[in-house]
Amino acid sequence: MAVLETVAPVRHARRPAPAPGRRARINRHLLRLPFYLLSLTMVVPFYWLVITVFKTPTELARTPPSFVPHSPTFDNFYDPDWSPRHIDPGHLQGIFQRFQVDFGFWRFLFNSLFITTAITVGSLLICSLAAYVIAKHDIRGRRVIFLMIIASMMVPWQTTLIPNYVIMRNLGWLDSYPAYIVPALAKAFVLFFLVQFLQSLPNELIQAARVDGAGEWRIWWTIVLPLLRPALAAMSIFIVLAEWNNFLWPLIIVQSDEMANLPVALARLNSYFAGPDHQGAIMAGGLLASVPTIAFFLVFQKYFTRGIALSGLKG
Amino acid sequence: MADMATPAASPLRSALRRYGTSSLMLLPFLALFAGFLLWPLANSLFLSFTRFDGINPAEFTGLDNFRQLAGDARFRHALGNTALYVVASVGLGTLLSLGLALAFNGTSWPHRIMRTLFFLPSVTSSIALMLMWKWVLFPSDVGLANTVVGWFGGHAVAWLATPGLTVPILVLMSVWGGMGYGMVLYVAGLGSIPEEYYEAARIDGASVWQQFRRITLPLLRPVTTYVVVTGLIGAFQVFEAVYIVFRGTNNVGGVLDSGLMIVPYLYDQGFTHFKLGYASAIAWVLFVIIFVLSLVNLRLGRAMKEL
Repeated sequence: MAVLETVAPVRHARRPAPAPGRRARINRHLLRLPFYLLSLTMVVPFYWLVITVFKTPTELARTPPSFVPHSPTFDNFYDPDWSPRHIDPGHLQGIFQRFQVDFGFWRFLFNSLFITTAITVGSLLICSLAAYVIAKHDIRGRRVIFLMIIASMMVPWQTTLIPNYVIMRNLGWLDSYPAYIVPALAKAFVLFFLVQFLQSLPNELIQAARVDGAGEWRIWWTIVLPLLRPALAAMSIFIVLAEWNNFLWPLIIVQSDEMANLPVALARLNSYFAGPDHQGAIMAGGLLASVPTIAFFLVFQKYFTRGIALSGLKG
Repeated sequence: MADMATPAASPLRSALRRYGTSSLMLLPFLALFAGFLLWPLANSLFLSFTRFDGINPAEFTGLDNFRQLAGDARFRHALGNTALYVVASVGLGTLLSLGLALAFNGTSWPHRIMRTLFFLPSVTSSIALMLMWKWVLFPSDVGLANTVVGWFGGHAVAWLATPGLTVPILVLMSVWGGMGYGMVLYVAGLGSIPEEYYEAARIDGASVWQQFRRITLPLLRPVTTYVVVTGLIGAFQVFEAVYIVFRGTNNVGGVLDSGLMIVPYLYDQGFTHFKLGYASAIAWVLFVIIFVLSLVNLRLGRAMKEL
């Protein structure tokens, strides 16, 4: 069962020290009880979200709300009986019928997937190149560059929000993919992490390749990148989650309906439709927006905790 | 740093070639770094001393923006709100993260399921979580929160329109969403404490509480520093929760500005009122706060020593 592997302790799980005596053991379980109860606060809202998706608009508007959908339906994704000509409170548009852009909701799924992938791949390539030079090349200015990059990690990105908006406007990039992607590629934190990781690796492989006459680009591609794989995996988790959820920057650079990413599209949808009967479609959108990251987590779960722990403990 | 092998044949040429390649490999990062971080940073400092509407050229006004900020009641309100939010959410979040890690750091399946459950918000789309909260806190009896209130005989509460509840709700949302992440860090920290320490302590007759006070807590201090500092930095930048859950039709900060924070105010001044110079001044106040907090973070100090 996949869930069981999830969020395993990084090194070796240390069982709580076996306490002497039965009373101490019972005490331990009693101490744990509030945290088991706390888990209800996790289960209940998520359960509420999921059942909302499968309720009909009529059921959603009813009080008191039901805790099991009476007649579970997929209408909140796509309602075949909805028609723009007959207004029927029992039939509202599903999430895939709500947006007046080509491909509707798929467009935003595509936008988010494309932007997140492009930034993740692009920034890992660019940062790993620079990290290789800083960690393994003996060039002048290396130290200064690295210190500057470390210092820049202390800058909240919102400080650069306004000038970057002006830059995007002057370049004519507002409302375009480059505005999403290009400013997000040089990530100081990623570079910092990769440099640290490379510094902890021995030079022998690189030197051997150099003696064999391999060029620097080839060494980067065939030796450095494979060596960096665990670090790249850890960083891709941070980048994917951050970019997938990115909201403020898209909010500012996006004007048209077509260029919104999922968060902006769903925020707009939510500001147009406030009634309880519309929540089914809105939650359906939220659920769909969560599927890729949860799937990503389930596939790479062993990297998740390791990556988080590496970033927190090692750096 | 070990010397890289340089073929003896033509040291000058190969050195040149290598410098050329090195620079070329650094170029993409440095160009983007300079273009979208260093230059904008300097530019925003400049803009903070100007009046700028984004269309006409920026007009230099000296310290006017900062003077105006000092007397701006909304800005002071935003600062106070943010401080309250930051302290409450980081304090509560850190305590609960530690508690969860202590409670569920084993390998048995109940522990794993609990860890997965608490970690789930960290991998769920954040917009989905915000919209979920907005729906849970729906003002009428169809909402989940009001249904629960109803079970205990209470009347429906206008959760999102009651100024006194705004910051507490934002804190709870933040703690709810973030404690699983801190838990993972603490679990990793607990896993790196050698079991021998506890054995030795037990032989000496130390109680469970004493073991916790004298071994666990001190050895977790680096994790705690990390959780607290990154938590503080993240909390100061709160925007999405305020904007999605509390924004009204013409007010970004919720009812009576009850949820106004630094970044929402920056957005409000910059992108709804187009006072880009004034907003840049707010951005620099945020910068100074975060910068000071980061200096506290010992990680950076250690990193500099290593190079």
